[in-house]
Amino acid sequence: MGAPVIAVEGLSVSYRQGAGFSRVVDDVSFSVAPGEVFGLVGESGCGKSTIALQLLGYRSPAMRTDAGSIAFDGGDLLALDRVELDRIRGARIAFVPQNPTTALNPGIRVGAQIDEILAAHGQVDPDKRVARTLELFGLVGLPSRPDFLRRYPHQLSGGQQQRVCIAMALACDPAFVVLDEPTTGLDVTTQEQIVALLIDLRARLKMSMLYVTHDLGLLSQIADRVGVMYAGRMVEIAPTAELFTDPKHPYTRGLIGSIPRIEDESGLPARPLRGLLQRHNLPKGCPFAPRCDWAETVCFEERQELATAGGAREVACWRWPDISVPDDARAVVESPELDYAERLLAIDNVSVIYGSGQNAFLALRDISLDIGKGETVALVGESGSGKSTLARAVAGLLAPAAGEIRLSGKRLAGIVKDRAPEERRLIQFVFQNPDASLNPRARIEKALARPLQFFFGKSSAEDVMAALADVRLDDKYSARFPDELSGGERQRVAIARGLIAEPTLLLCDEILSALDVSVQANILALLQRLKSERGIAMLFISHDLAVVRMLADRVCVLFRGDIMEIGRRDQIFAAPFHPYTHSLLEAVPTPLKPHPRREGVREMTAAPSAAGCAYAGRCAWQIGDICETERPPWRETEEGLRIRCHHTLEELSRRATWPNAASINAEDQKALQ
Amino acid sequence: MSIETLSAPPARSTRSLSSLFVLWRQTPLSFRIGLIILLIHFVLAATGPFWAPYGYSQMGTGRPLSGMSWAHPFGVDQLGRDIFSRVVYGAHIVILLSLSGTLLGLVVGAVLGLLSGYVGGWFDEILQRFLEALISIPFLVLALIAIAAAGPELSGNPVLIVLVVALVYAPRIARMARSVAVDIATRDYVTVARLRGESAWSVMRRELLPNATSVLLVEFALRAGYAPVLIGSLGFLGFGLRPPTPEWGLMISENRALIMVTPITVLGPGLMLASLVVGLNLFTEGLARILGRTVKLGVQ
Repeated sequence: MGAPVIAVEGLSVSYRQGAGFSRVVDDVSFSVAPGEVFGLVGESGCGKSTIALQLLGYRSPAMRTDAGSIAFDGGDLLALDRVELDRIRGARIAFVPQNPTTALNPGIRVGAQIDEILAAHGQVDPDKRVARTLELFGLVGLPSRPDFLRRYPHQLSGGQQQRVCIAMALACDPAFVVLDEPTTGLDVTTQEQIVALLIDLRARLKMSMLYVTHDLGLLSQIADRVGVMYAGRMVEIAPTAELFTDPKHPYTRGLIGSIPRIEDESGLPARPLRGLLQRHNLPKGCPFAPRCDWAETVCFEERQELATAGGAREVACWRWPDISVPDDARAVVESPELDYAERLLAIDNVSVIYGSGQNAFLALRDISLDIGKGETVALVGESGSGKSTLARAVAGLLAPAAGEIRLSGKRLAGIVKDRAPEERRLIQFVFQNPDASLNPRARIEKALARPLQFFFGKSSAEDVMAALADVRLDDKYSARFPDELSGGERQRVAIARGLIAEPTLLLCDEILSALDVSVQANILALLQRLKSERGIAMLFISHDLAVVRMLADRVCVLFRGDIMEIGRRDQIFAAPFHPYTHSLLEAVPTPLKPHPRREGVREMTAAPSAAGCAYAGRCAWQIGDICETERPPWRETEEGLRIRCHHTLEELSRRATWPNAASINAEDQKALQ
Repeated sequence: MSIETLSAPPARSTRSLSSLFVLWRQTPLSFRIGLIILLIHFVLAATGPFWAPYGYSQMGTGRPLSGMSWAHPFGVDQLGRDIFSRVVYGAHIVILLSLSGTLLGLVVGAVLGLLSGYVGGWFDEILQRFLEALISIPFLVLALIAIAAAGPELSGNPVLIVLVVALVYAPRIARMARSVAVDIATRDYVTVARLRGESAWSVMRRELLPNATSVLLVEFALRAGYAPVLIGSLGFLGFGLRPPTPEWGLMISENRALIMVTPITVLGPGLMLASLVVGLNLFTEGLARILGRTVKLGVQ
């Protein structure tokens, strides 16, 4: 490693909070070498984004830099004034934001937005600017055609928008790029394409990057070194491979343990971290001590600075040499063998159409699906595949254009207000975003008491407490407002609100995707327990196949409103695969999995014709015209797995490569144990 | 496997009496100043008639049109009435009429607007067009039409004035409330209530209203501030309260011709009106922040 491109020394930052300031970044030091990708990982609120913004010299009145320096280009970024910063930002240090939709100005053509940057940093010749913009678009895999420059952001897909943002960051050949969760808002397949692009750019341009994310799995593919943050402190820095195979800090171990693994066939929950970060109650010493299984008195009392732990590794822990023995693997849950023969919900030939006339859009095409009593059926697919639409149709938020939905044999009215109170009680909905699903002005007790009062005519404090206890929250939460809860706690309350009505079917719409990995693991364990104890059936919508593999009894893969494949969990995760399922599995980022070479990934060329296969046009295994003109038949294995494809099952089995691509990982897992 | 029970961090207590002072210190400054100004006005309104130096229609209290003096802090009008006494007597009239009129307009407007925004469809469409039609009529004209429709025997009746203020304000408040409701209605917690089968009324009361309070309160303060002016204008045109009622707006318009001679005769009631409006605005702005939980009260 040569001299670092950027070196952060003892950085401490505080945010204004009420009358005083609270420390969000505490004495953090790290450096990034030329051509290196440094990953910064941690749960929300750990201070990682604050550091990213500091590296751009971002200052806000609500923020105070208490100490430290950021060495860059022979100067200290923190000491520069506004004019000097403007010269560096965009030119020498660039930024890729989390959400491209809000980062791009919706009123300016994308070409002009890049033009702006080039002009601001001294390129006066308009023709050269256009040429450079076209070159940049080519670099990030966008069509480098003049007409593409004239598009507005809303005419691009999310992935294309993010590519524009990346092109913008690269415009002036910066020495250092800061990426703040650049793929978090995108769906799996797009996410994978962006990561592939970044890996490619890194190899070609030899840029240094700081990659901020909460997704450890992703970092394993792109980062050279990873810094793990907890409650504003850097707790461990290690080369990526070593971090995953041999994490030293107990927090890192917990974090890696909580990642659901797609190859895990056991259906056992990830091992969640104990407890929650309680910011008001941090000890003097290690912030992680209250949640640590190895903590001793010294951990609470004395602060441990980041110290060398052999090789290029650094760790801030008093106890790390004593805990190198890997702790036990995932905990075991006894799931009773349920017989799902008794049908609870039947969805028969349901179609949903949005809009009407010329603008009519077929969101669901002739869907048939059963859910047994106590059974968990997962709906999988990328955004726009109709997963949420199906759940909303079941809930009665929109009426199907054709077909019917029956609960325990009784036909349900299309719209919720036409259904009987009992029917409304038996189906409960839990939403994706815990921030929006609780009334911000109602205390938790009120939010939970209302369904009781509404459905059972009475509510008591005891019932509310019992419901909170069901989701493992103690009594004190009942007097809280939602803004006093963390995302995970709010999601528990939202689940409790669903359970309190004693439903037989819980509709879970991406309920884990807004949460941190370690919190996810907790909620997942909670769901598994509810499932086995109460026998509640679930329609579980998720784009995360690893989560699905842990929780679901049966999986249904949707694409553009059509079922591609449906079967038991073990069947879905084994050959034969539907081509789409296969591509989804390949796209899952897994720790240390070498990036798969995707042959023939195609962007959607045209809207699928109503007659053919919905996946035709993007399918890597497409046979020919038949896919576009003729609806594929159902192919069924003897065990009951159903795949909708023109290929025969034998052919599909033959083409499958998925689990092998991850075989390296299995060895790593052995090394872990 | 065991899943841990989470324990909430210690709560902020708002119960104990000793913490009242601490709570007061935590309230926004605007809330405190506004509350003090309003309290002064209320005390004036409640006790004024008992200690005002002169009666409100007592003539010949001093030399007409004489300026400020210790005996007549706000001067003396053309008829020799003491303006200060009239202002003090008028306080309860102004506060009662404008606040109750605005409050009525707020209640009607908020209910209509929130329901309209939540229910949508034809109900919303028809109601909005109707309200727009009302808004398109200049408010003095609308008020005059309403008063004319009520008939001459009711003219000058305080109850009619209150109803007219409400009629003028309700459509405007309803539009504001509707735009807020349209936004809130798409939130998941409203969807949850709808899935439960709650009636529109119940959704409005439990989910929409609590989240619309800050907007509605600011709207209330602003409107309540203009209400005395509206009532005054009606009085000036001969359709409001009748002289010699010591209503501030009426006094301003009565004395407006004298503004070059003795400006204090207009400034006195004007100042009182202004401080009431400012006080109301500060108070409601602060209250909105407390209810909106951008400022959190409580003792650790």
